[in-house]
Amino acid sequence: MSARAKGSFLVSVLRNDPLTPSSSILVLDRPEGFPDAQPGQFISVRLTDTLEPLLRRPYSIMDLTADTLSLLVKVIGRGSALLASQKPGASLDVIGPLGGTSFPYPASGKVVFVAGGTGLAPFIFAARSWRSGDARPEIHLLYGAEAKDELFLELIAGEFTGAHLATIDGSEGYCGDVVRLCEKLLAKGELPVDHLYSCGPRGMVRALVRQVGSRFAEHLTSLEAIMACGVGACRGCTVPVWEGERMVNKAVCSDGTVFAANAVAWEEWKE
Amino acid sequence: MTERSSAVRIGPVVFDNPVFLASGPAGYGLEYADLIDLTRLGAVVTKTITLQPRPGNTGRRLWETRGGLLNSVGLENVGAEIFLTEKLPSLIDGDVRLIVSIAAEGWEEFRQLLEMVAARPEIEAVEINLSCPNVERGGMEIGADPGRIEHYVKHAKDVLGERAVLAKLTPNVRDVARLALAAEGAGADGITAINTVVGMEMDAESGRPIFEMVRAGLSGPAILPIALVAVWKISRTVDIPIVGVGGISSIEDATKFFRAGASAIQIGTAIFYDHGLPERIIEAFEHSGIPKPFEKKDG
Repeated sequence: MSARAKGSFLVSVLRNDPLTPSSSILVLDRPEGFPDAQPGQFISVRLTDTLEPLLRRPYSIMDLTADTLSLLVKVIGRGSALLASQKPGASLDVIGPLGGTSFPYPASGKVVFVAGGTGLAPFIFAARSWRSGDARPEIHLLYGAEAKDELFLELIAGEFTGAHLATIDGSEGYCGDVVRLCEKLLAKGELPVDHLYSCGPRGMVRALVRQVGSRFAEHLTSLEAIMACGVGACRGCTVPVWEGERMVNKAVCSDGTVFAANAVAWEEWKE
Repeated sequence: MTERSSAVRIGPVVFDNPVFLASGPAGYGLEYADLIDLTRLGAVVTKTITLQPRPGNTGRRLWETRGGLLNSVGLENVGAEIFLTEKLPSLIDGDVRLIVSIAAEGWEEFRQLLEMVAARPEIEAVEINLSCPNVERGGMEIGADPGRIEHYVKHAKDVLGERAVLAKLTPNVRDVARLALAAEGAGADGITAINTVVGMEMDAESGRPIFEMVRAGLSGPAILPIALVAVWKISRTVDIPIVGVGGISSIEDATKFFRAGASAIQIGTAIFYDHGLPERIIEAFEHSGIPKPFEKKDG
């Protein structure tokens, strides 16, 4: 979980592959000198030079190979719509890799991933990068979304030891939220309980902490936040975290994105 | 002594060029060291330091507006002791020229903070943040009162002696030039104008203000005209150098501030989306010279 050198790069869009009606995979040409990265790290993308929108947007690294850098883009606002509209050949100004902490290779060799929506991205990166080593961890993915057409099914095929799906409307897999699914599988003794890694909407992670967190020896989570600098300078993306008895503000961008989920002061995090 | 053509003098201190990083966005500077060659800058103005560490504000801290950024960070900083023992040595060792931004909640705190700063000869310049809109005490209510500005600046000059003292002023007043006049009268070596503009944002659906303190500070391109007119007015009122800051996003924007009467500029919010801008402005001015002011004193 250590920080790597970061830099500023101009990258070309190689492909923009549609995934669902509102999302796509943006495959970028990995620029020369772009440092290696770890699951949970991100890049910050400048979307336009028209100053509208103004700020860069942070995107979790979904995959990083010798030649490519991939992002999972879901259209939720002006910024993501601009990124999702990029065509092959377009050039993007990015800084990265950013983030001072990441998901480590699970010490026990067994891990449960719980992902909500685009929170899947760091876990695709983890599964792919850990698979290339000699050791291959046992990865159980629990993955939820509102409905079937929001699940990135083709991304998860063949990547995990086991994949369990949940949709709120019941159109695919378990009918209900992914936290309930996790409770159910734990009750049946179907999940290893050493490491829980999560990424998704704040409500999902908070519910995980409350409802199943104590069942796992370790729960790490990659947090999302509105960011300005991305490098820990501006203190705009802070999250309150317990350090013993003391609550301190940590920057999601540089002290995270990965935190011990139980140390996050969820009740105090009011953004 | 020979000064380079792009050098700028503020009181007793000469900076190699007139392009500084503004206090706040760039943190202590070190965070941007991988992305910006800090040694190329005229100076880095540090995040505002207070006597004690400050955790900053709770709740949401950032909101992007059209052409701008609202922030409610609330002067989160490590406090004077950690700044002086941990951050300052790295910056000095890295040959970064510094202007240390300071703020205090009251007179006694200000006195103690100044003593700590004065004990460090490597600090050659100080910017007194008289104008943060995001703190409950020690922000704008000091910075909107010419009498108190005079009191604070005079004391800073007495304690800091041959170091440069800049007063950073708020635009959230009727007459910013009057504040500048007070600072000049108290011996300030320069005026920094402007701090953020007070604003707010509502969540249309829930009906609530999105910031816990309701108001927040607006920065970015949206405030450039407000900053420019402040510099214009101040430059026609005082004789000390003015450091213009507010919404600069291009070489052309920077040029406008010199035309309006600034002797130096600061880049703040723009580094979030274009961290290469300060160095591009420096190169442009090295090539073509620093833009001359428009008929100064006749406006």
